Amino acid sequence: MGAELPVVFDPKDYKSDLKPIWCPGCGDFGVLQAMYRALASVGRPPHEIAFVSGIGCSSRIPGYTTAYGFNSVHGRALPIAQGIKIANPDLLVLVAGGDGDGFSIGGGHLPHAIRRNLDLTYIVMDNQIYGLTKGQLSPTSPLHLKTVTSPHGAMEAPVNPLLYVLAYGAPFVAQGTPADMAGLAQIIEDAIRYPGFAFVNVQSPCVTFGQDDWQVKQHRAAMKTLESLGHNSTDLLSAMDKARSYGSELYTGILYKNPNPAPTYDAMVRERQQALTTGSPSPARILDGFLQK
Amino acid sequence: MRGDLTFGMAGSGGDGIVSAGEALISAAAAEGYHAIMTKSFGSQIRGGESSCRVRVSTQPIGTSNGPLDVAVVLSWDDFLKFGAELQIEGTTVVIYEAKSGVAPDKLPLVGVTPADVARVPIGELSKKAAGSDKAKNTVVLGLIAGWFDVARTTLLKGMQKKLAKKGPEVVAAAERAFAAGLEYALANPLKREMKIAPSKDGPGTKMLTDGNDMCAAAAIFAGCRFYGGYPITPSTEIMQYLTREIWKYGGAVLQAEDEIAGIGAAVGASFAGKKSMTATSGPGMSLKTEIVGLATIAELPLVIVNVQRGGPATGLPTKSEQADLFQACFATHGDSVRPVLAPTSVADTFPITVEAFNIAEQYQTPVVVLSDQEIGQRKETVNPIDTSKFTIVDRLRPTPADLEAYTRFRITESGVSPIAHPGDERGNYLAAGIEHNEQGAPTASGGVHARMNDKRFKKLEPLKKRLDLFEVLGDPSASVLLLGWGSTAGACREALDWAQKDGLSVKLVIPKLLFPIAEEVYRDLFRGVAAGLVVESSHQGQLYRLLRMYIDLPTGVRSLCRSGANPFAPREIERKLRSAVIGLQRGHGESLQSQE
Repeated sequence: MGAELPVVFDPKDYKSDLKPIWCPGCGDFGVLQAMYRALASVGRPPHEIAFVSGIGCSSRIPGYTTAYGFNSVHGRALPIAQGIKIANPDLLVLVAGGDGDGFSIGGGHLPHAIRRNLDLTYIVMDNQIYGLTKGQLSPTSPLHLKTVTSPHGAMEAPVNPLLYVLAYGAPFVAQGTPADMAGLAQIIEDAIRYPGFAFVNVQSPCVTFGQDDWQVKQHRAAMKTLESLGHNSTDLLSAMDKARSYGSELYTGILYKNPNPAPTYDAMVRERQQALTTGSPSPARILDGFLQK
Repeated sequence: MRGDLTFGMAGSGGDGIVSAGEALISAAAAEGYHAIMTKSFGSQIRGGESSCRVRVSTQPIGTSNGPLDVAVVLSWDDFLKFGAELQIEGTTVVIYEAKSGVAPDKLPLVGVTPADVARVPIGELSKKAAGSDKAKNTVVLGLIAGWFDVARTTLLKGMQKKLAKKGPEVVAAAERAFAAGLEYALANPLKREMKIAPSKDGPGTKMLTDGNDMCAAAAIFAGCRFYGGYPITPSTEIMQYLTREIWKYGGAVLQAEDEIAGIGAAVGASFAGKKSMTATSGPGMSLKTEIVGLATIAELPLVIVNVQRGGPATGLPTKSEQADLFQACFATHGDSVRPVLAPTSVADTFPITVEAFNIAEQYQTPVVVLSDQEIGQRKETVNPIDTSKFTIVDRLRPTPADLEAYTRFRITESGVSPIAHPGDERGNYLAAGIEHNEQGAPTASGGVHARMNDKRFKKLEPLKKRLDLFEVLGDPSASVLLLGWGSTAGACREALDWAQKDGLSVKLVIPKLLFPIAEEVYRDLFRGVAAGLVVESSHQGQLYRLLRMYIDLPTGVRSLCRSGANPFAPREIERKLRSAVIGLQRGHGESLQSQE
């Protein structure tokens, strides 16, 4: 008998037959390619992956993979993903969506997903605009930006996703751009492999409604890898310092990676179930406790 | 000897009147009586007024509402704040604290002279026996044991057991306080003896719990292994029970950051293959609505419990109302329909919750269990339930042949298509809130949308033939009909007894399936009916209006409805039914709607 060959996956194994609805030149194509590569490197078979999203251009992404997908409702991908992971911790659970989905309508879920620290990977395709509804102001749109809902200029400062999630206590925070596909694939792979809540902000420009001077071409010129800057990704304070320049600098790579991962919520769920199921009564006897003697 | 006694007690928060009620119902249950207890509070977290009603009977009962047989008043100010909830009539015995300074012939009651009045130095008896007035509630229990003979020895035993942890001195003080009340009662007999007959079923024959705990236990029994929710009165006890117990059965509870996340996580868990549930009350239901629609279009089984309270908005958080029926049936946007079930008692909450899970799994749909504050939070004795008689339904899963070319939303004869779970090899599919074709691919095609709507509606059609989800009592050929649902059904059951005693032949219909409307079942039930009342606690009479939407009701069938926090009593329903019949006979069907 010959030795058994290891199961090896190719990026194509994660590509579905659905044709993306994205505009030609959309940054999300690059994110999708990077996802395929990262998933092939991680090597989990597609049927063991649950990929959850909300609503928006980028939220279409689960359908373009061969994983189990859940293209849910606007802003609620994180709660749904947490339910999936708690119900079946063996699954690799990925979450994706846009900046509106994650920081505006679903913004209330983010701090709680982070403090619960389930072993999830959350990828936000941040394009600073609402693309699917044709060009309205988004929570990461720069101050003074003129859009169809801010014809005289935006009066709100943008949220800073990187600083937010660091402050909420995310143990893994990274940023990438489709301008550097290999780097982005590596970031996503590292995020997936991190045992805990991993957040990846991808600067994924909108070719149709985004700013003309902030497309993939400009990213390529502007991006600075944190590695090349000698950034210490285990130092929370320097991560926050770098995160402060969200909107002015395009840093890519891992901003922060807690070197001592805390126990995840899903691991604690499993422990509690194991501890309490021993010697439990059968469900058929559940009413016994109500008998009044 | 009496077969039935209803006690109403009120005092200020620190008087322990609710603990006294709990001791009373526990002892009555242990002795095998049928009993129901409801509590009512002011809106304060601590202090303020609090009250309870305990009805003890040798016969099965459906409600504790109606006038009191015995009123225990520690403070008149507190007692009177409960108004119609604690109704004193000419047949009531009033026991009150002497220290209140009110003369027995000067009770602050308008137009009512109680049958008997006992002015008792309750606080003083407590001080003498226990050294402080903290044992007033125990003195009251002694008085009740002495005058009404309710579970005398069991009451004392129950108290000893409950206080054992606090040490022998506390137990001894309670024993003295109880004895003081008992001796006082024996030394000062009432005008007319009111002792209760021994229970018919005997000791150890009753369970005692509330609707919320029963719902949670039923969920575990039905196979629920995930709960996501957010605290909200009056449903929170469901989450509290589950988070104590569900782990023992391999499940989990997530206390989410908000109502939306609670139902979102539950939908996620269902997608991952677990039977799952969320529970809430009106305001939470409003927030969850979008995801109810998601579960509908993604065809994911899910049980949503709404323990109704008064609304809209914050409304009456601690009081019962049946005004969320329209919401349960119609709240989501788009063409969507979901089964709505309503339990009618604590006991009924078990089979109805199990049924909700079975329907959710069988038809891959969200199901709403419409409980209410009265059922959810009242304590009630329940006869033992034989769990071996229940069938547990699990969702249809793909066969290996199905997985050869898996089509998640395949249009089948029944409308139900096999569901794969993440982890199933070759079952990979996209679940989506966006309309999708049979494979699960997003589409904006009107044709596909119409076919998928057909599928989602068609699969629920068999429910409309479920006669077993209706209870029909009384005379099936009667031309007078009474219809009640949810907590109101209990009072209707007793109204039927009164009607029968008074020689009025009545058919009582209690639907447990409220939606989809089982049109043919109703048409059969309404055949030959000339007069009737649909009784419910809502301003609009929501079930009545819903029935009229789907069925041509006989013109003599009217709505008897009023806003919540003012539950119906059996005698009242019977009187209204009689006057409806008389009205029709005389050719002037008076409107019964909204009798606030």
